[in-house]
Amino acid sequence: MLALAWANLTHHKLRTTLSALAVGLGLALFLVSNGLATGSIGEVADRMESVQAELLVLPAQENMVFSGGAVFTPGWTDHLASVADEQGPLATDVIPAYWSQITMGGQQQRLFGIDPEQMPLFLGDRGMVAGHAFEQATAFSQRIRELRATADGQPLDTLLDDDEWSAGLELVIDDRLRRVGQDGHPYEIGDVVRVLGREFRIVGVVESGVAGRVFAPIETLRLINDGGRQRSTMFFIKLRPGLDHLVAARLFTEQLGSTVQVQPTSDYGRRLQQELGKVFMYVNVTNTLALIVCFLFILLTMYTFVLERTREIGILKSLGVTRRGLIGLSMLEALLISSAGAVIGIALSFVAQAIIAMRLPLLTVELPPQHLATAVAIGLVGGIGSALYPGWRAARLEPAVALGYE
Amino acid sequence: MISVRNVQHNYRHNGVVESVLHGVNLAVAEGEFVVLMGPSGCGKTTLLNILGLMMSPTSADSVALAGTETLGLSDSARTRLRRETLGFVFQRFNLLPTMSVRSNVALPLRIRGQHADGAVDKMLDRVGLLPQAGKKPGRLSIGQQQRVALARALIGRPAVLFADEPTGNLDSASAGAVLSLLREFHRDWGQTILLITHNEHLVGAGDRVLTMRDGRLHD
Repeated sequence: MLALAWANLTHHKLRTTLSALAVGLGLALFLVSNGLATGSIGEVADRMESVQAELLVLPAQENMVFSGGAVFTPGWTDHLASVADEQGPLATDVIPAYWSQITMGGQQQRLFGIDPEQMPLFLGDRGMVAGHAFEQATAFSQRIRELRATADGQPLDTLLDDDEWSAGLELVIDDRLRRVGQDGHPYEIGDVVRVLGREFRIVGVVESGVAGRVFAPIETLRLINDGGRQRSTMFFIKLRPGLDHLVAARLFTEQLGSTVQVQPTSDYGRRLQQELGKVFMYVNVTNTLALIVCFLFILLTMYTFVLERTREIGILKSLGVTRRGLIGLSMLEALLISSAGAVIGIALSFVAQAIIAMRLPLLTVELPPQHLATAVAIGLVGGIGSALYPGWRAARLEPAVALGYE
Repeated sequence: MISVRNVQHNYRHNGVVESVLHGVNLAVAEGEFVVLMGPSGCGKTTLLNILGLMMSPTSADSVALAGTETLGLSDSARTRLRRETLGFVFQRFNLLPTMSVRSNVALPLRIRGQHADGAVDKMLDRVGLLPQAGKKPGRLSIGQQQRVALARALIGRPAVLFADEPTGNLDSASAGAVLSLLREFHRDWGQTILLITHNEHLVGAGDRVLTMRDGRLHD
């Protein structure tokens, strides 16, 4: 039977190739749509979890994903630094961040305002691709702190001259955003970008995978958005070595009260999935639809494949092949086509992943082994299942009728 | 070997019933070579399909093959009887285009689960096609294809061979070659043969000639 199935498939090379291709396309559709949804969300989570800090602190009423505008008032850095157990303060670093929504690379981005001196905690083991992690911004931040101490109620931004302002208008972007660029050209060091009503200069490009795609000095964003007040959107906490982060999170919550939410940074992905529950439901519906389309694709392919061979089935029946044997033959051929289709589908998905990474660098297509295994299983079960009905239908025909089929 | 009584068959096309066989009775003895003549559309092929268990009659009192009453048999029992007892040669050859000549001829043995190696080449040699054994049927002449079909029909030494217009598509030389082979095998192996044709030149091919007209058999 295997020889007969193989002979049938290799004899009709074009038909077999097109059938396998159809199955492959169906599976690739499923893999890429699924991989795009989970990959893009997973990439955001991975970036946040890459920060070299164990805890993440947000105002209690704040949503992790969709910022509601709640902020920490000045003084919270000291509050967080003061949380302690019997061995002393829990935090070795309190890392404030101030978010702003901006448009760069043709889409909305979260601009991370951070202290330039704390940039290494965001970089981790990632390096600079080009330029520097801020040039004059450290001096700018220092200048703002000096002004804050002496301003005596005057708006800080009015106390800065143009040269001082320009020192703070620096951006560091990640390599993916650099590749997207503007008007079809990748961003380069020295490019000037208009953001938040000011002209910022790109001074550095960091390897992708860091928490934000765009960084600016935190004092700059506070100055532009908040009159220079020392407010923060969130904090990362780097813990004293050896501290269990779950125990530490509990201690922070106990000592700071219900006005804050303290979460392990490593839990961000799971929390993100919770917050995006409805979005994930939409993704799951989309994936289910893709799966159904893929399944129908396979069904139609196999149905056509078996139908076209009705006359050959009649010949085999006249020679004494049983119904069960004919259904088995159809299923064997379907299995071979589906296997080839699964290989094609996986290959096409990797090609699509590479093309998307090249042409749309801000998107991520995730193709983990369990997704690939699911696709193979869908392909094989779908292929065999789809061959079952047309095979059974053809096998039930009387040989004389099947032989007369054109 | 073949015994049928009162076989009737109707076809239904778009709600219109057309009667094709009207109470056909037939008895063919073991080893007999019967030629069934008749014009196109008289019901010959329908009768052969019923005798060959490739379709069921609308009604019949008996359809017996090799001592087995086939009416009421399950599909698998009819398939087994067809596999072990019957051979077919069709006007359109019905070779599997995907397989080589050798594989086509070996197919009945493989379906029975038998080894086919030596017997197939011996059979191909006998029909003069051993040099073409590795080719696909589509690369052979029409006459050669019918000889392959004959070899495939006889490789399993069936008790009964049904030949439906086996020379219908052939030129006279090829038809003569196929007919000679049929006679030769019949002489050597003595199987029962029912050959249907509308070609009057084949009248002398068998031991007995029957004529069918308007769905009825006449001696």
